[in-house]
Parts: sequence; C-alpha cells; structure tokens
Amino acid sequence: MPDVAADSAASASGGALVPFVPDTEIAVVYPLHHGLKPPITRVSISWARGNNLRVSLLRNPPYNSDSDGEIGGKVVEVNLDSGAADVRESVQWRRIAYGSVTPFALLQSRKNSASSLSKLQSSPSPFHLDWWEHVMEYSKDIKELLGNPKSNYDPLIEDPKEVLKKGEEPTSLKAAWELMEMFYADKLCQSWLPERLVDWLADYDCLLSGDQPTVHSKLVEFQGTLVTLQVIEDDPKYWEVISSALAIGWLEIVVKLLRLHGSYQLDQLGHRETENGLVETVAVLISMMPRFRPELKNGKLGECFEAKPDFMKAWEKWREQITKLDSSAFWVPCHHRQTREGLKNLIQIMLGNTKILCTATAHWIELYISHFLFIRPFTAGLEGMYNLAQKCVQMKPMSSPHKLLRLIIGIIGENTEVVLAECSRGFGPWMVAHAIELLTARSDQADILLHKEHDDIGGISMEELHRLVYAQVLTSHFLTWQIAPVYLTSCMKQGMSLLEFLLYRQPAQHNQLLLKNLEICRLYELDHVSSNIMKVYEILKRILDFIYQMNTPSLVSLSSANSLPVAFVDSET
Amino acid sequence: MEKSVATLDEGTTCTSWNYCGQRLATGSFNGFLSIFDSPDPASSSFTATSKIRIHEGGIVKIVWIPPEYGDAVACICNDGSLSLWEEIAEDGQPLQWKLCETFHSKGSTVLEAQFGVIRTSLKMVVAYSDGHAKVYELLDPFELKNWQLQAEIQNVIDSVSTFGKASCFSASISWNPQLNESQEPSFVLGFNSDTPQLNSSKVWVFDQAHHRWIPVAELALPLDKSDQVFAVAWAPNIGRAYELIAVATHKGITIWHVRLNPDLDGRLSLEKAALLSGYEGEVWQMEWDMSGMTLATSGTDGMVRLWQSNLNGAWLEQAAFEPTS
Repeated sequence: MPDVAADSAASASGGALVPFVPDTEIAVVYPLHHGLKPPITRVSISWARGNNLRVSLLRNPPYNSDSDGEIGGKVVEVNLDSGAADVRESVQWRRIAYGSVTPFALLQSRKNSASSLSKLQSSPSPFHLDWWEHVMEYSKDIKELLGNPKSNYDPLIEDPKEVLKKGEEPTSLKAAWELMEMFYADKLCQSWLPERLVDWLADYDCLLSGDQPTVHSKLVEFQGTLVTLQVIEDDPKYWEVISSALAIGWLEIVVKLLRLHGSYQLDQLGHRETENGLVETVAVLISMMPRFRPELKNGKLGECFEAKPDFMKAWEKWREQITKLDSSAFWVPCHHRQTREGLKNLIQIMLGNTKILCTATAHWIELYISHFLFIRPFTAGLEGMYNLAQKCVQMKPMSSPHKLLRLIIGIIGENTEVVLAECSRGFGPWMVAHAIELLTARSDQADILLHKEHDDIGGISMEELHRLVYAQVLTSHFLTWQIAPVYLTSCMKQGMSLLEFLLYRQPAQHNQLLLKNLEICRLYELDHVSSNIMKVYEILKRILDFIYQMNTPSLVSLSSANSLPVAFVDSET
Repeated sequence: MEKSVATLDEGTTCTSWNYCGQRLATGSFNGFLSIFDSPDPASSSFTATSKIRIHEGGIVKIVWIPPEYGDAVACICNDGSLSLWEEIAEDGQPLQWKLCETFHSKGSTVLEAQFGVIRTSLKMVVAYSDGHAKVYELLDPFELKNWQLQAEIQNVIDSVSTFGKASCFSASISWNPQLNESQEPSFVLGFNSDTPQLNSSKVWVFDQAHHRWIPVAELALPLDKSDQVFAVAWAPNIGRAYELIAVATHKGITIWHVRLNPDLDGRLSLEKAALLSGYEGEVWQMEWDMSGMTLATSGTDGMVRLWQSNLNGAWLEQAAFEPTS
C-alpha cells in the first residue's frame, strides 16, 4: 500500500503494525480501477508474491446464452507497499535493496560475534564499547547507496552571479537517514549537535519547500532574477534573501551576495566609499563568525572553536564588534537607504533579534536553526532542544508539516515509537528495517523497547516485526525475493518459518528459480523444504520426460527445467 | 497502484490461483474450465493456454491440488458434483486436462472441498449439503484416481446431538496450513444451514492413536453457536504459540486464538481476540497473507478489506479497496 503507515500519535499510544497502518478507526478507501461494465457480481481475492493481492472481478454471466459482447471479468494485482518511499524508480529501489544487503549482513554477523563474546566475558566487552563505530561504518555504506552529496565540482571560471551551486537533488530518504545517524549513532557529533543540524539543513532545506516557501526556494527564485537586475541593492528582495540566508547560517552565500553590491563596482567606489566600507565590514564580520564546532568543510566560512571557554570568549568579542559597528558614526554618511536598512537588519540578526529572525525564516526548522546560531549556541541535551523546537513551532505553525520535520520532532521528543512510526509512514519498510540499527547503536532503552516480545501479536519483537515486513516487501518483487532470506534468517523467532513458506511458494518449473530455491534451502539447512520442492519437481519431471520423448516444442519453459544437474537432484532427493 | 493481469471470458463464474500464483484456473457458467499461464515467472500477464468443457452446467468453485501431486484441480459444479481434473500427457498427445475422478453422494450435493498435505499424504475434506463432511485420502501419490474414504463426520461438537434432516446452503473449510510435520493434521469447518447445531465452526483434529477425526474446539460463544458461517480461514503460523482462525458470520468476522496444547478433556483452549464489524453484507471470502498477519476479505458490498492487529492486539480495518470502472 503506497505511503500509508502508522499514525504517529496513535502509534505512540498503541503501536500499530507496519507498513500500511493508519491506526485510525476509519480505514482509507482506495479505488480499484478495472474498466469493466458494471455491475460486478463477484469479487474474489488471492495473495500473490509478498504484499501483492490479486482481485478477480466478475460480471454477471449472460442469461439464456445471450452475449452482450463484453468481457466477463478482470484480474487486477494490487501492490500494497512501495519498499522505500521517496524512491520512485524501480531500478533505483533495487539498487538500494541489493546494496544494503551486505552492510546489513556484516553488521548482523558482527553483532552475533559480539554477543557470543560478551557471554564469555563477565565484564563488559571492549567490543561492546566500540559498537557505535561498527554502526557508523554500516551507516556510511548505506548512505552511499542513498545518493551522493551535492556535487563539489567547481567550474574553473566561477560564475559570480551563481549563488546556489547546482548538484544532485538530495532525497528525503537520505535526509532522514542522516538525522537518525547524527542523533542515535554518531557519538562524535553529540557535543555539537546544533551545528550538525545547521549542516543538515544546508543540505536538505530544498526538500522542505512544499506549500510554504523555504530560504532555499527564495534563493532559487532570486537567482532567476539576478541577471536582469541593474542596481541590485535597490531591490528589496536582495536584502530579504541575504537576511534569510544569514539567519540559517549560509554565510558563504551571504558574503557572495553582499559583494555583488553596486558599491564594489570600480566606477562606483569613488563616491560610495563609506557605503562600501560598511558592506565590506559586515561581510568580514559574517565571515569571522565564531562557530561552536570542531571543524568546517572547505570553503565554509566562520571560525571554529571546540572548547566552550574559547568559543565564549570569541563569541563575546565578535558580538562587541557588531555592537560597535551598530552604533558607529559611519551610518550617517551612508545615504543609500536600502543598504543602510539592509545592513542594519543583518546586524540585528547577528545580535539575535528574535523578531527579525522570525521574519527572515520561513519554516519553524529554519527559525530553530537561527536560534542555535545567534541566540542559544550552547543549547545542549535533547530536552533543551525539544523545548526550543516547541517554541519555534508555536511561532511558525504549519498546517501539514513535512515528514522530515515530523521525524525531527519524534527524535528530539525522545519517543522511539513515534520515530519508528514516522520512519515507517514517511520512508517505508526499508528505512525502518535498516534504521533500527542506528536507533539501538547507543541507546539501551531503545534496545530494550525494540527487543521486547509482544505477546499480543504472537511474541514477536518490533525489530523482528519490521524485518519481516521488509522481507515481505522484498518477496513482492520477482527480482528481489532472493535477498529476503538474509532478513528472514536474522529473525530468530519467526523468520525461518516465513522463509519456509516463501520457498514453498516459489514456482518449481523454472530451472533457475528451482536452483536458487534449493541453494537457499541448502544454505539454511532446510532439508525438509528442499525435499518438498523436489517432490514438486519430480512430478514435473515426469511430464517433462514425456514431453522430451514426444518432442513437444510447445512447452519451452517447462522443458528447460530438465537441465537440472543430476548430482543436485540426487543429493536433495 | 493496480495493474490488470488477466482478462476473463464472458460468463466466468469463479477463479483460483495455484500455489505459487503462476497459473490461474477459471470456471464458467456453461461448464468450461480455462487455464491461464504467463510466459515466465517475472511476467504478470496471464493468457488462456487451454480451455475444456468439463460439465453441461456451470462450475461454481475450483480448488488446485497441492503441487506435490501435480497440476490438477477439483471442480464443484452447480449440480453438486465434484470432479478432479489433471493436466497429463498421454498417447502421443500434448498436455491435456483429463478427468481423474468424480465424487457423488446420494441425496446431497457438494458445497465445498479443500486439500491438505499431511506427512506426505494428501487429504481432501468435502462438505455436503446434508451437513456431513467426508475426509478422503489419496492412496497412491502418482494416481489421482485412487481415493479412500477415511472418515465421515457431522459438524457437531457433541456426537450424541440429534436433529432432523439438515439443509445447508454453503460450507467453509480451511486446513491448518502447517509446514511443521510434527503437528497432527487439523482443519476448521463451518456451515451456513437451517440446522443451528451444524453451523458453528469446529476445529477437527486427527487423533492418530484412535485413527479418527475428533472435534476439539467450537469457535463460537454460547449465544452465537447457531450463527450461520459464511467463511473460515486458518492463518499460517510462523511462530506464534497459538493458531489464528478467522470466522465470518452475519455478526462480523471473529478472530480466534486457538492454543495448540489441548486441555485434559482434549479440547483446545480458545480466546475470542476480536470481532471485526462495521461493514455491510455477507463475507464471501477470507485470505490470510503468507505471514498470517494480514487478513484480506471480500463480500457482498463489493469491497476488498485488509485487517491487521496492532501491537496491543487490537484488530483494525487498515485499508479498503472499492472496485470502480
């Protein structure tokens, strides 16, 4: 079922099964298009591969053999899931599905080794202490599958009027993965989480444009008009986008835009010296902004401080310089009103004026980021972050918040069930099955919650449940069912039985499929299943032998099964 | 979201997919059995590859025989007869559908038939309009002609019950879809009849020691025992400590938890886990998915509905599909 999943609030209280669970009293009704002339007198159902449901729709048989020339019915197949939401191309989806198998299997293998090791040792194993590093390695492999970061390619001759670099469009799936990684797995960024969120928004603000504009969409719009502007500093939009970009910490863009100011032009410098001096001073102050973080990527502006006292000292000094500039006498001879007001606005942003920050930002998350940068750089702990988020949401309410924003609220609200439900609803079964490893990387509480056996649903844990759900998604597609056993065998409780059902339901008359089936049986020591499969094959073989004798060419697909290696058949039978 | 996989001939009355969803059998009002195949397993487009008239009247139901016993179907026709048809090749001819066996019963008609594979033996339960059910066993796995009547049962929990001649309109049978061969074979049977004692669904288990079928559980609360049963479905069990069985009556769909370990009386312990209601009309069909977690239903209102339990064990309708031109 496409994009239908657990409702977050309901899940928080009840916890619905995924993937297609809006846990509400009224179920969503989807139309089932068949193109038949009504009336439909009979509807019959049958499960096909995985989550595919086949529905036979039958019309009334003709009375007295009088044909009305219409067809008698249709069988339609409904796919009840979409694997990973946000990935529309099936090729791309398969690339992710196949690519994530090895990292997942490797992590499970390491987990099993770690578990065996910890049983042998009475004290906590050093392996356990470094577990998050294994998870980060896994996360890195998965992230690579989800798309590359924005292109770092810089043209030899840089376009001075290109404010936003063009790169690969990021996906919500990757944005969500990075959120989970930074909050749950990456131990190193815990001391500078707010700045890490600033980076995250810089990469993914473009995804949040929906019914409401974002700073990114404002910049894109402004870039489109840039070439047509004669006197850029006269345009209120120019100052508006600079303020917005500064509010969310896109310092390079701000400085670049400021240096497009007309006063920098050679023929203007002479009579606009003071004005230019003010613009440049603001640009320099912006580029010197102290950042409470260990490092910045190449080309990013600001001065990094890892130690809090050093940062404090630099921050106070920087703010003093801004205050000094604000009360400077140089503003009086600056006759260009828009420049004067625009720069003053930027100064207020740097001084953390809440009202102006609120005007400069569009979404609550942008306002939130601006608070970290200019008002509360020391915000620490999820409780503090959550309270601040609540405040920002109140200041900038949204009618239908983006799925990434719902996920952030779940994460900083420290509600694992809501996070799982949001992952499921917004990003699909692939995301939940794989992101659970991030959730449990450093949190014993999440670990307990996800491994708790739920008696009401047959004693299965949430971790296993989500893996089974994802495995069923894989089995829904002919090209991905082969990798489902990796996930099923990682479910100690119920995975093996589901694997047996899966193998039993694979068609035996196709040579390659049969071999694959038997190979999986041998790999997981499912001798009784392979024996069943071979029984089916033996029956087919009797027919095939006959066809060969008769040299009947009409059943090519069946006859191909006859090439099954004899040794293999013997060993299994 | 949906795609057409097969177009059916005018007059089609029933459809049935084989174990792997790679072959479709359809029956028609004028007795034609059609088989649809797809060119390869990756394809989801099916076209008719054979068509044979098996009866003068209409076919009302088709059931595929488990794959270990070949490509064969059981067809129930509107005169109440049951016949088995197998795809075989003989006498220098290409593959053809041939009649293997016909089952008749004096004074009653066949309402339903279902197959179960238990410890390398194929069994078939056939329910009749007089409220009786017969369990047949295939004697030779390579000969679909050789069936032996193993038992004849009446769908009552108490063998001393007496009642007049029953008249049943429909019957529902569902085998325990177990893969675990250590379990005893079992199935659930319910009737839609004018005889209250017969109606409620009973779980029948084969008692190996006495070589007989015994009813071990009645899936109805005391006040609901006479309710006519429209459909039953036994869920695949991939690891639960209990079995999950869905029973549809006019009151709704009841989900039963049936514990595997019998009590001292030999009865299974039961728990009514949920009553799914809120829709109109009669349930035609219920199908569990492979994991036994999602129940799909269809009914007289024309809707297809999906039901799931949440983590607290509360069953909810999760989605519905409304056929539209």
